[in-house]
Amino acid sequence: MDRPELFTLDDVSLVIDGRRVLDHIDEHLHDGGVTAIAGPSGSGKSTLLRLLNRLAEPTSGRVLFRGTDVRDLDVLELRRRAVLVPQRPTALTEDVADEVRVAAPGLTDAEVVELLRRVALDPGEFLGRTPSSLSGGELQRLCLARALAVGPEVLLLDEPTSALDPRSADAVDTVIRSLVASGLAVILVSHDVLRAGRVADDVRVLHEGRVTARGAAAALDLEHELMSPPTDGHVHDTDDPRGHGSAHLPHEHATDRPETTEQP
Amino acid sequence: MTQIPSWAAVAVSGLLVLVAVAIASWQRLGISREIVVAAVRALVQLVAIGAVLAWLFAHAGVAGALAWVLAMTLVAANESRRRGAGIPHAYRAALIGIVVATASTLGVLVLGGVISTEPQVLIPIGGMVVSGSMQASSLTLTSLRRSAIDNRPAVEAALSLGLPAPQAFAREMRTAVRTALVPTVDSTRVVGLISLPGTMTGLIIAGVDPLQAIRYQIIVMYMLLAAWAVSALVTARAAQGSMFDEAQRLVPIAV
Repeated sequence: MDRPELFTLDDVSLVIDGRRVLDHIDEHLHDGGVTAIAGPSGSGKSTLLRLLNRLAEPTSGRVLFRGTDVRDLDVLELRRRAVLVPQRPTALTEDVADEVRVAAPGLTDAEVVELLRRVALDPGEFLGRTPSSLSGGELQRLCLARALAVGPEVLLLDEPTSALDPRSADAVDTVIRSLVASGLAVILVSHDVLRAGRVADDVRVLHEGRVTARGAAAALDLEHELMSPPTDGHVHDTDDPRGHGSAHLPHEHATDRPETTEQP
Repeated sequence: MTQIPSWAAVAVSGLLVLVAVAIASWQRLGISREIVVAAVRALVQLVAIGAVLAWLFAHAGVAGALAWVLAMTLVAANESRRRGAGIPHAYRAALIGIVVATASTLGVLVLGGVISTEPQVLIPIGGMVVSGSMQASSLTLTSLRRSAIDNRPAVEAALSLGLPAPQAFAREMRTAVRTALVPTVDSTRVVGLISLPGTMTGLIIAGVDPLQAIRYQIIVMYMLLAAWAVSALVTARAAQGSMFDEAQRLVPIAV
């Protein structure tokens, strides 16, 4: 594995109101590419994302960012290095350019234009408009531009396409792929395992707070994972999340490996 | 001075309570008993407070008057805190807002020689300031609580961009303070047109020339504008401090 580790979840559990939302998660999320955390609603995937930028705190266990416990980092710096884009796109200003500058007030006009281009919003068409006049997909991409303006190392995307029609969703996916091609890491959460599999290099399937499958997107039988109950006590695991070798072996996971998320 | 009503006159006015009771029972409103209880309670409370004030005016001095005003702020903050239910340390936020507003407003009036420090001035004027500050504090907490619940996604979106809490919550703070100030700005704008406010009404009934009575009213209005503004701002700042934790997270607010 030559890609450096971005986030490490070290025996992370989270209990909310007596409910175990995340149950002893041990995961290594690597830099570069798209990592998707997929699972049905209520599986704990959004909560897991919020642990990464400290919007939530684990009940036990540690979250490391590039090897450092996130609690030892300045939280504002952490959130600028790992920017989370929430599920529901929400405008914070009344103007498209102001929106891009909301957390980066020093941006020049040229930089704002460049950021809009990166998210496939034509500056000539969108500058001067109010964010509330944008469609859901356009607003989602504006939120991506606003996040990129901060200069993050990784984007944490919570259901970036769930509220969008298929065409808008494809446009957002295309933007995500182009950002990743330019070197940005993306960790996204999706209830749509199949769509997540299409956009991601590396997938974790989450069921009731546990990782039930992990590996290269192409190597996992995602349709099967979607249906399989989390109670079989096994994690379907492919060796190389980057998937160079395993991409051609779509049923490799059928040979179950011993449970790795269980506590000793 | 015009004639102040005698106790006999008060007893005659009690007939008006009977009018209300008569209507209630004639229309079968089922609140006859409540009307009588309310009327008796009002009588007892006012007699008691009259006696207390008479004693305070005679014996309290400046220190006693200030202690009385301080006691009012404690009661007011307790009333205000209910509006912020779910906000951690809402009582403390309300108390800080009301105390700072009361102290600064009364301080300016006393130091500026606008009002005297006699208990019969400090206590009623202080009461008006505390009451206004309390309403401002309550409206501020109501708005902050609502915002923290309704706007949580927007606030968290801003926090997720690495913005510190004061910036991420700036819009909600402005809304809260503005919401708190609207009623008093409105009532100040139309004062004298829609209602004759209490201070000048009282002075006029007591026989003071209207052109003199309005001077007191103007001072009271300006004082209340300041009290509302200071209380709203300070309450909001104090509440914000406890609505975000050390990791710049909006704490859960009970719905």
